[in-house]
Amino acid sequence: MTLDQFTDEQLVEEVRERDKEKYAELIKRYQTKLTHYLRKFIKSHDELEDVLQEVFIRTYRNLYAFNVDKKFSAWIYRIAHNQAINHIKKYNKGSISLDEHEWEIVDEKMDLKYNTDIGLAKIQIEKGIALIKEKYREPLILYFFEQKSYEEISDILQVPKSTVGTLIMRGKNALKEYLEKN
Amino acid sequence: MPNIKDQLENEIMSEIKSGRVKLRSKYIFLAEKFSLSSAFALIVLLAVLVFNLVLFYLKSSDNLAYLSFGNGGVFAFLESFPYLLVASFVVLIFIAGLIIKTSNFAYTKPFGYLALGLVLFVMVGGIILTFTNIAENLEQQTYDSKMGSFIFKPFLTHAFDIRNKGMVGRIVEIGSGFLVVQTPHGSERLIMNSGAILPLQPLSEGTFIMAIGSRDNGDFNISKLQIINPEEMKMIQRGVHRRFGQFQPRHEIIKNLP
Repeated sequence: MTLDQFTDEQLVEEVRERDKEKYAELIKRYQTKLTHYLRKFIKSHDELEDVLQEVFIRTYRNLYAFNVDKKFSAWIYRIAHNQAINHIKKYNKGSISLDEHEWEIVDEKMDLKYNTDIGLAKIQIEKGIALIKEKYREPLILYFFEQKSYEEISDILQVPKSTVGTLIMRGKNALKEYLEKN
Repeated sequence: MPNIKDQLENEIMSEIKSGRVKLRSKYIFLAEKFSLSSAFALIVLLAVLVFNLVLFYLKSSDNLAYLSFGNGGVFAFLESFPYLLVASFVVLIFIAGLIIKTSNFAYTKPFGYLALGLVLFVMVGGIILTFTNIAENLEQQTYDSKMGSFIFKPFLTHAFDIRNKGMVGRIVEIGSGFLVVQTPHGSERLIMNSGAILPLQPLSEGTFIMAIGSRDNGDFNISKLQIINPEEMKMIQRGVHRRFGQFQPRHEIIKNLP
């Protein structure tokens, strides 16, 4: 069986019981995804790299805490989420940075109407996402930019699945409200 | 030239291979899980017991009966209320709720449902325990000075404290305008002033009575008095018997004197 045939959960078991070097495969799989995710919280590249490194180290250290019957993706995203929040609280910095692909998502899926040029709109939207309440911002980011399902968002943020939809809707409305005022 | 992505992977793997970053032992997580589960189970059991004691206290002490005096009995009711038991119950439920909140499964359901489920479970458990003798045994152990009795003493002895606004006990002497009553905390003199509302039946020695009023220089001034059935206030009845023994009329006491 080659490494790419292992599921994340099987890789975790391999790392725990047999071969810790297989952890490199997990890093490969999640590095890009988590970088994109953390960019919603941390603008500085150097700070993001530090936080990302810390995420992978914490994940490795606490690998025995992971229940292999659950999804590893949700678990590592939860660790990344917690580290990002801790970083923001420690350095009192919260900012959003959208790349081109994510900007297309805003344009197509979030249905935000803006009557100004795209460059200014992008700045306003980035600012708006950063300013809406954390409990609405996070499910919004995970759903639209990280393409997570309601169940995954529930596991990552540890909120009931039944409330995820409501939080996303309120996040969108809060963002629209901010854009209308500004 | 190694790209940035490989650099992060290499740094982390070098920390792992060198042993500077290690897996935390699985037994630590097992121990954490076990401790949390045990603590939760213990707290819930304690909450069930404390709720049972609350029911026991309300059923067999003088507390609720003061409300039968109407508005006049409210102060005595508030004075005799089992605050420590109720506060302990609330604290235990709060701690159990905190443990539920930090658990890995609690987020799957709205917390309100889980909290309600917890409270209902504890209350039902406490009610089921009323069909056993646990509360009576605990009361007995408290006064037998058995090991551990000091734990429950503060919760139960409030039933026997001196009250400023209320009084329960057994009549041992009827004088002109006064009664001497045996209570769980000792003998008391009750003054029947002209304005006191007394029961229609005549009072007699050995009868259990309950009164509301106020204290003045150590005596209790009655404003209203009722004859009660001691079987409805078993804690008080046992308290009086513990202190004074079974009732003996005065002529019997005098007859038995050497």
